[in-house]
This record gives sequence, structure tokens and C-alpha cells, in this order.
Amino acid sequence: MADTMGHSATATRNTKVALGFCLLALAPQIFELIWSIGTIFGWGAGRGPATVVTNHATALLAGAPSAILGSFGGGAKKASSEVLLALIYSYPLFVVAILTLFMTIRSAQDYVGGVVLMALALFALWASSDLQGMRGFSFGAGTAPRMFGGLLVALSAGIALTGLLTEGAPLAHYAWRGPLFVVAAIVFFALAIRPLGLVVTAFVSFMIAATGSHETRWLEAAIVGACLTFGCAILFPYVLGLPMPMFPRFLIQ
Amino acid sequence: MDIFANLAHGFAVALSPINLLMCLIGALVGTLVGVLPGIGTIATVAMLLPITFGLPPVGALIMLAGIYYGAQYGGSTTSILVNIPGEATSVVTAIDGHQMAKQGRAGPALAIAAIGSFFAGCVATVLIAVLGAPLTKLALAFGPAEYFSLMVLGLIFAVVLAKGSVLKAIAMIVFGLLLSMVGSDIETGASRMAFNIPELADGLGFATVAMGVFGFAEIIRNLDAGAEMSRDLVQQKITGLMPTRKDLIDSTPAILRGTVLGSILGILPGGGATIASFGAYTLEKKLAKNPSRFGRGAIEGVAGPESANNAAAQTSFIPLLTLGIPPNAVMALMVGAMTIHGIVPGPQVMQKQPDLVWGMIASMWIGNLMLIIINLPLVGIWVRLLRVPYRLMFPSIVIFCAIGIYSVNNAPVDVILAGVFGLVGYWLIKHDFEPAPLLLGMVLGPLMEENLRRALLISRGDWSVFLTRPLSAVLLAVAAGLLVLTVLPVLRAKRDEVFTESEN
Repeated sequence: MADTMGHSATATRNTKVALGFCLLALAPQIFELIWSIGTIFGWGAGRGPATVVTNHATALLAGAPSAILGSFGGGAKKASSEVLLALIYSYPLFVVAILTLFMTIRSAQDYVGGVVLMALALFALWASSDLQGMRGFSFGAGTAPRMFGGLLVALSAGIALTGLLTEGAPLAHYAWRGPLFVVAAIVFFALAIRPLGLVVTAFVSFMIAATGSHETRWLEAAIVGACLTFGCAILFPYVLGLPMPMFPRFLIQ
Repeated sequence: MDIFANLAHGFAVALSPINLLMCLIGALVGTLVGVLPGIGTIATVAMLLPITFGLPPVGALIMLAGIYYGAQYGGSTTSILVNIPGEATSVVTAIDGHQMAKQGRAGPALAIAAIGSFFAGCVATVLIAVLGAPLTKLALAFGPAEYFSLMVLGLIFAVVLAKGSVLKAIAMIVFGLLLSMVGSDIETGASRMAFNIPELADGLGFATVAMGVFGFAEIIRNLDAGAEMSRDLVQQKITGLMPTRKDLIDSTPAILRGTVLGSILGILPGGGATIASFGAYTLEKKLAKNPSRFGRGAIEGVAGPESANNAAAQTSFIPLLTLGIPPNAVMALMVGAMTIHGIVPGPQVMQKQPDLVWGMIASMWIGNLMLIIINLPLVGIWVRLLRVPYRLMFPSIVIFCAIGIYSVNNAPVDVILAGVFGLVGYWLIKHDFEPAPLLLGMVLGPLMEENLRRALLISRGDWSVFLTRPLSAVLLAVAAGLLVLTVLPVLRAKRDEVFTESEN
């Protein structure tokens, strides 16, 4: 398929990849924003969405450049965690995204893989930036994470470079159905096991997971799911002696 | 003789009814896992970890060990009869084994695979018993600097023996090391990269990550291809298990070579059963008078790899039992199992827990004997299992995994984390990253950091300590040499050749 695509097609794909990287560069901020929406309804503690947006926006637009200038000017003011996130994580990725526009990607599989891994490493560097470093010759809590984080940045940059310099595989095709339903089944299991108990949870999760394949026959799946649930309900709590809620909480009370 | 006394003690432990039962269960589950494609050994051991909580430590470890080497037997059955490998370790067995089955010689192929595995298993058991004590003595001379260098060597071995790009494999190890640092710092107690999430304060559970990256990711990947895998099962009844005289003569040298190669590769850190079977197949093909027979049903192509993978599966226990360093991902899970039962793996285990070590060694021999019975006369039952369609199997595996992870800590968050790592694993597969080095890095991470810190503290911050202590310097030199050799073009081609065998 890749052969039939002309030059313009490659160009649009580069733009898409670059846009993807920009999104990746803002992913932690977006994640915190979505998380903070919960605070409106009183779920969990944390800052509200408005504070999150303003803090990150100022950090991204104004805070970080001024911090850079400040450090050149010799200012030793400690940067806030938002500014650090922008400096350590978002800016390098924006740079990569811009550079991507001007590159010929020979192996998208390696290039994208390398850049995403680099994002993870940068994120780890940010996450360990508040930890203590070396104290004399003894390691602080942050020394090792920073050491390995830096190493991973270098290695993943190397992988991305291989993707630019050598021919290789294009991006693989991702299916959505399998991952979606399998993960949905796992998440349902995690949320439901305490309130609903093993019997209900195992059966429903089984059916959700079974939806992940288009070859599933419903009656057959329901029968096997019921048998499996019965088997698990005997095996885990009784034979193996692992404590586990069995039935929905509201039924027992 | 010390060894005989120790082995006798081991057999006394292993022959107790409860341990015999555990050994049998392990062998049965291992065979089951090996036969069924789509569930790997790593995921199974991770899944069954919580089950062993209630058992005595010796029984638990005997069972988990049984699963590992049992899977090596079971994998060959699927490879020979269905032409899809039940396990990564029996990929090459499928090449010649399935051809033999098509020619109506499934019986001899299965028999040779089992006989080869049994022989290799016996040799490996003796090897563990012989090498155990001296290596333990060596380990006692190790200081933190040596331990750190040894782990570097182990990780480099993992890179050399991993499939695909060297750079990617190293990156995966470092990623694993980073993951291992989530949670509380061992020395200062500071919370690292935990984002104030209480469940992360204790670090990422090793079983959780293993289950996600190997269990869930594998399922998701298989669903991509469509749940129905093409299974051209050899339908005719398997008759005549006995190999002919010529078969035996042909395969004996292959079994011997496979056993030697497998034993060596198993001991090396980073090695393990997969590389052993690939290596053995390449070796047989190189040595054969008429290499064109390979791929058309050469019995050596079954005997060599099957002996090698079983030998390697067992000898990989040596570094774990003597040095306390897991050489591959399954052994890493065994460390987890030992820790759960309050046993700290390391050189002291041999002295402090003779029951455990020698009981496990003896049980391996017993387990191999059981496996040959489980696999040969009962092969019909296992074949019938293969007819269970994947569309019913995969939701069952998902549920089993979920219950398994939940019961480790009774924490729903662990289940969600495993799901997240399932997606991470799927992404890694899509970008051609090997997940096994990641797991190894994650296990060795805390050990490495601790020894590095300690070594530098003792040397008062002088990094040259790793080069001035002779043992450590030798280990590091070997590691550096290996890395250079792997990157050299000539050897790189050789390494790729070993792994491309399956794609013909």
C-alpha cells in the first residue's frame, strides 16, 4: 500500500504524524484537565478545571520562556511544576513535531516508536525532577531515575534516527474492536468486583470481552461464560482460599 | 559424596505426597499452557502466583517450576500436529515436526520430542546439582560492585540474545529500569514518580506488568488477526508412537548436541529456552550432510530444538538459585514467588533452605518422568483441547487473568494498571519492541540501583571501583566485548540468521 502513495500523500502523513506529536506534547496537561472536571461533581480532590487551564496556559506561553531568560540572567528562582513540565516535556516534543514536518520518514514504525518512547523518558525526567539529587558521593532519591531517564532519551533518539536513516516497516495497522472490548472488560471487572461480587462481575466481563471478536456466537458464549463463572466461584474462594466478595453487596445486606 | 547426600535429601522432600501432587499439577498445567496457543508461560506463571499463596513455599515453587518446563513439552505437541507453535520456544519444531506429521509420522515425531526433552531434562537436573554448590561459593565472594557488573552483563546478554534491533532491546531494558523506580525509594523513602497516588507508593507490581504486557497484550494482538486462526490439524489418528531404529540413530547425536547447547544458553543470563531452540535448529542444519532435508521432515530438526529448549528451561534455574539473579522473565517471576513466601533469593538460599533447593531440583527429574507419561499416551486428550475455538478461549483467559491480579493484593487498581500495560504491550508489539527485556530490566532495577549506590558509597564516590576490582572488571569487559561483537556486521548477520529460521 505504501508504494502506491505519491509524494503528496507522504507529506500529508508527515503532517498527521507531527500533529500527533503535538497532541502527545500536551497529553499530560489534557489528562489533568479531564481529571479535574471530576472535581466539579465533587469526585476526588484537586484543582478545578479553570485553575488547571490557566496555570498550564501561562506556563506554556509565558512562564517557560521567562524561566529560560531568568536562568540566563542568573535568577535562582525555583520554577513551578507546570513550568518544568512545559520545559522538560512539552517544548522538546514540539521541537520534534516541527522537525518532523521537514523529514523524510523512511521507517514510520521506528520513528514514531522512538519519539513516543522519548516522550515517556522526558515525562519520567519531569516526574523525578522534584527529587533530591546527589549529596556528596551518595545517591539521592532522584539520581538513578534521572540517570536512566537521560539514557532512555538518548536511546530513543537513536531509534528515531534509525527510522529516518534506514528503510523499514511503515506504521502497523491498529484494530480498535479487540483492544476496546478487552480493556472495557478489564476496567469493568476492576470497578465492579468490590460492589457487585465475583459472580456477576465475572459473567458480565466475560460477555464484554467476548464482544471483542466478531465471530462470537452469543448463546454459546453465554453458556461458556456461565460455566466459567461457576468454576471460578468455586475455585478461587473455596479451593484456593482467596477471600473475595461473591455476590452483590446490596443483596447480602 | 556431598551431591548424592543432597540429592537424596531432595528426593525425600520431593517424594512427599503433597509435593508429588504439586509437581503433577504443575506438569499438567504446563502441558496445557504449552499445548494451547495464545497463552504464554510468563502470563501463566504470573496468573498462578496468587494461587500459590496458600501453599507451603516448597510446593509452590515446585509447581511453578513444573509449569515452566511442562510448557516446553506441551508446545511441541501443538507445533507438530497443528503447525502453529503452542509456545515461542517450539516455533522451530513446527518446521520439520509438522512435515513429519503430514507424512503420517506424527507418532515418531512426538516420541522423539518427548524422549529428547526427557534426556535433556535429566542432564540439566544433574548439572544444576553439580554446579549449584561451587557457584554459590563464588557468589559469596561478590561485593556490591561485582553484583552490579554481573547484572550489567546479564542485561547485555539479554540484548545480544533478543530478537531484532540491539538499540530497541537496550531501550526496553532502560524503560524497564525506569518502571522499577516508580514507588518509594529504598534508602530515603521518598516517593518517586508516584504522583501522590497511594496505590503507586509501593511501586508497580511485577506480576501486574507481566500480565499486562504478556497476557492481555497477546490476547489483543491475537484478536487483530481474527479470532479464528487457521488450524490445519492433522486429523488422522496417531498410530505407532515408537520411532524406528533409524529414527533413533539419526536423532541421538542431535539430542546430545541440543542438550549441550541448551544447557549452556540456559545458564547464561538473558538466555533461556527460546534462543536455545533457535540456536539448536541452526546448528543441526549447519552440521547436516544434506541440509535440504530440513523443512521436509528431518527428525533432527525436531530432536535438537526440543532437547535444547527443555535443557535451557531447567538450567536457567542455576543463576537464580546460586546468585539470586533471574536470567529471564520467567525466572524473574520465580523471584516474585520466592519473595512472596519470604525467601530472599541469593547465595544464602542453598544453605538456609536446603529443602527448597534440593527438593525443587529432585522434583524436576520426577516432573520430567511425569511429563513423558502425560505427553505420550495421553496425547489424544491434548489434541482434543486444540479444537476449543479461540473465540471462547480468549474471554476466559481475560477473566482468569483479572481474577488472578485482583487476588494478589485485593486491589482493583492493579487490574486497571494491568489493562493499561496491556495497551502498552500492544503498542510495543506494533512497533516491534521486544517486551521480555523490559520485564528483565524491571526485575533487576531495584537490585541494580541498590548495589550501584552501595558500591559507590563504599568507594566514597569513586566510579573507578568497577574497574579496579578484578572480578567486576572482567565481568564488565565481557559485557563490553559482547556488545561490540553484536554490533559488528558479520556477527549481526549470523544473529539475524538464527532468528529468521521460522519465517521460511
